[in-house]
Amino acid sequence: MAGFITFLFLARTGIRENKVLWLLIAAFALFPIFTHFANLPFWNDVAMRIMLLGIAAMGLNLVLGYGGMVSFGHAAFVGIGAYCVGISQFYGLTNGWLHILFSLGVCGSLGLMIGYLALRTSGIYFIMITLAFAQMLFFFFVSLEQFGGDDGMSIDRAEFAVIDLYEPLRLYFLIWAALASISLGLMFIIRSRFGVTLRAIKSNESRIEAMGLEPLNFKIISYVISAVICGISGALFASWQEYVSPDIMHWTRSGELMIIIILGGLGTLAGPLLGAIVFLLLEEFLPLMLGEIAPTYAENWMILFGPLLIMVVLFGRGGLLGLTTQYLAREKSHKTEEG
Amino acid sequence: MMAPTVLELCGIHKSFGALIATQDLSLKVSHGEIHALIGPNGAGKTTLIQQIYGALKPDSGQVLLNGKDITGLPVPARVKAGIGRSFQISNVLMDFTVLENSIIAEQARLGQCFQFLRPAFSDKRLCNGGEAILDRVGLLDRANQPVRNLAHGERRMLELALALAASPSLLLLDEPLAGAGPDESQRMTAIIDALRGKVAILLIEHDMDAVFRLADRITVMVEGRIIATGTPKEISSNKEVKAAYLGDEN
Repeated sequence: MAGFITFLFLARTGIRENKVLWLLIAAFALFPIFTHFANLPFWNDVAMRIMLLGIAAMGLNLVLGYGGMVSFGHAAFVGIGAYCVGISQFYGLTNGWLHILFSLGVCGSLGLMIGYLALRTSGIYFIMITLAFAQMLFFFFVSLEQFGGDDGMSIDRAEFAVIDLYEPLRLYFLIWAALASISLGLMFIIRSRFGVTLRAIKSNESRIEAMGLEPLNFKIISYVISAVICGISGALFASWQEYVSPDIMHWTRSGELMIIIILGGLGTLAGPLLGAIVFLLLEEFLPLMLGEIAPTYAENWMILFGPLLIMVVLFGRGGLLGLTTQYLAREKSHKTEEG
Repeated sequence: MMAPTVLELCGIHKSFGALIATQDLSLKVSHGEIHALIGPNGAGKTTLIQQIYGALKPDSGQVLLNGKDITGLPVPARVKAGIGRSFQISNVLMDFTVLENSIIAEQARLGQCFQFLRPAFSDKRLCNGGEAILDRVGLLDRANQPVRNLAHGERRMLELALALAASPSLLLLDEPLAGAGPDESQRMTAIIDALRGKVAILLIEHDMDAVFRLADRITVMVEGRIIATGTPKEISSNKEVKAAYLGDEN
């Protein structure tokens, strides 16, 4: 009981320290009310995709933003998570809780294996090794004719006992619950002794060694946690898409996740979610805008997106979240000057 | 009664290709003494420290700490066995505040870093421990400053505090006075002086005034070899040392 009260207290201080993140999560909880009254059901779908990519980006952010490990292969874990659902269904296992458990186990052990090997290197070698593992897994699933190979396989939404995902909004709130609990978990991890040590390793690995700690152990554990989070995202992705193919783990998605994190704010809790929102909204709207101006170029919306990303990186170190907090701080100081 | 030997090097040899960095070198540092290691640039002082610390492995020979062979151990294990170190270039956690630095050192000392729930920086026990670490070098009034805002000398002081956090039996100090102003230099010298008798210190330093003031014994290295070991008095009157190193000054 006392433990639970401390937990609530710690959660409260954490939520206060991360207002942007929890405002966004609250907004996602209320969003279906908006779409219902505005009669825009399509946007629920977009919101789900944002949350799913947000979860995966949060997972990657643990190693990339907090641990300073540039993993270029995290889409593989999203894909493995999705295939865990697809393959389970193929063999007649339809229970969604078991799917998630299965994804956790497979992504965890794969993350442990890849992390154990890849984290012995650093810098450009680490980037290349993680990419190599991801490509290996990608082509492994391409070659699995039994499970659709290149074309992938259609699946049904998973069965979560009492929750029927074919009922409206059930899947939406399942994804939302995953987002909220993973955010809560990461919030605790980041501030904990483990999280602090991980951030210190990013800051200066040799000082951590000089304190008698083995940095590799912390890196591997964070890598496994991040793989598992991406796996959960993938497992839910499969139900959302009702379809699994190697496309979900294409290397460009690893890049996408990195772009989302950098856009939103590297090494911040809210950054990946904010990045996912902006990234997917731009993905929706930039083609439309471009279609108005120059219809033949509509599908090349990246032409506009690229310079935008460069500007955020150049002028807003700390991404969009950094820009927002800087702006808010300036406003505040203006107000106090006037008052 | 002789103080117990903390560090013993037996026939350490290290070469990089044709360059012999450490040549069949043996050395003892006993508890409570400040042992200075001097020599011209390129004599192999830092390379030797690296081999004691574990960042480099000697080609042959043994490193004994408190009588235990640590030659095969990696850096973190050697630190746990009782080695503290400050580096030639200040090596602290730049992205954190001074107190956060010492809190991380405190949790490392306690060996309780694999906890995932309770926030570290607001933990009373860790804060108290961290403050005690800072107090030892007189940095307590700077506790909430980001390390980036510290003056060079204060960073060196913080680094020394972090190296002392785990109460090591051997302290390796690689040019702790380099780049420090006269005031900072004096403060640092006083702190090192106060450690005499408590911990074995192996000190590399180019500031000869400080070396002769601080050291109980001095070892002079030239081209990977020891040419003399003795008290400051013996060293300053040693002909070979004069010729090789101090020649011009006297």
